Amino acid sequence: MRGFGELESAVMECVWRVAEVTTVRQVLEQLRQQRDIAYTTVMTTMDNLHRKGWLDREKRGKAFAYWATLSREDYSARLMHEALEDAENPDVVLSRFLERMSGEESARLQHVVRRWSSGQETS
Amino acid sequence: MTVATCVALYSLAVAVLAPRLLLRVTRSGAAPRLGVTVWLAAIGSVVVAWIAAAGFLAAEFVRSLTEPVPIVSACVATLRAVATGESGLALQLGLLMLTGLAALALGVLAWRWGSALLRARRRTHGHAEMARVLGRHVPGLDAVVIDTSDRLAYCAAGRPHTIVVSTATLDALDGPHLDAVLAHERAHLAGRHHLLLAATRGLATVMPRVMLFTAGSAEIARLLEMCADDAATRRHDRNTLLGALLALTGAVTLPSAALGAAGVGVVDRVERLADPPPSGRCARTRLMLTAVLALLLTGPVLTGMLAANDVAVCYPGA
Repeated sequence: MRGFGELESAVMECVWRVAEVTTVRQVLEQLRQQRDIAYTTVMTTMDNLHRKGWLDREKRGKAFAYWATLSREDYSARLMHEALEDAENPDVVLSRFLERMSGEESARLQHVVRRWSSGQETS
Repeated sequence: MTVATCVALYSLAVAVLAPRLLLRVTRSGAAPRLGVTVWLAAIGSVVVAWIAAAGFLAAEFVRSLTEPVPIVSACVATLRAVATGESGLALQLGLLMLTGLAALALGVLAWRWGSALLRARRRTHGHAEMARVLGRHVPGLDAVVIDTSDRLAYCAAGRPHTIVVSTATLDALDGPHLDAVLAHERAHLAGRHHLLLAATRGLATVMPRVMLFTAGSAEIARLLEMCADDAATRRHDRNTLLGALLALTGAVTLPSAALGAAGVGVVDRVERLADPPPSGRCARTRLMLTAVLALLLTGPVLTGMLAANDVAVCYPGA
């Protein structure tokens, strides 16, 4: 899985750390502290991130100034909301599920847990 | 029109009877793969029967244009007896309207189903991409890590497919348990379960009143979790997976856009792993499912043949 999105992830990390506007050159300098990487690679990656809506940019002189469209916290909240939403969905949370579980289901689970833990001790 | 009527009646019979019968056969979770296949065959045969019925209707209409009067089917004879005199024209008009309505209804349903599929695909791929950019990439781990106190482990289809685990999950599981969970997620992706889920859920969303689709999509989701469990236990110890499942029962939820490690029918899966169905019951379930599958595959052909030879029992006026 490393490789796919890994560089994009690292670039966004740099952009978020700066908090204000940044340039390809500045991101490159930060990344160079950890890895050997070419200017054009970073430029292409940031261009992709702009195309995908992660970065906004504005022409300033010869280069572009880049900034994140949303904060890291905003994106995390959105991801978690998507990952946890939808009570209608039969894909349930077990913690909530335990509260909502019928007495019979709860008893069944307890039964298995007891048997499983006693099996773990003997093995 | 006899053939179209028979095929439509066949689909009605399957839509009403199949979910009730199959729910009982697949409940135990013995032979989950075969169970998924038979559910899909039942759903598919109903959809195909609808399209075939509309096709036969259209064919009948075309035939009524080329040979206006002598249609030697019992159906027409009855209709003609009812509408005396201008029966030929009335029949043509009736057929035209019926064919048009059937085609329109099928078209609308297909359009809605298609948009539901595209929407699910866009959301799922978007979710996978967001997880890849936000998540930490740990060398050697076939997943991205999200910082949260919820115990999460799920996969989202995308380009590429992405498995997401949370820091809480990493804290809750040790190496072998985590490997078993990841194997479960990889089995979902390798088996393209997301496509089956999206297709059946789409049908259930578009036609929420057809029990075959709603019950079918829920049951398929549950059986697919068991299929992934089976795939994971082929490489990992059954008890390891069970332990991981129980460890994750702290606080797990699943995205609508993703498949989860724990979630769908967890108690059923836990019981099944702790206490696998005896081979006798597996054999019985397999036999039942194979019989239903054979019926589903031969049923439409038999119905069509009987109807074409005017001996169909489904036409009482004959």
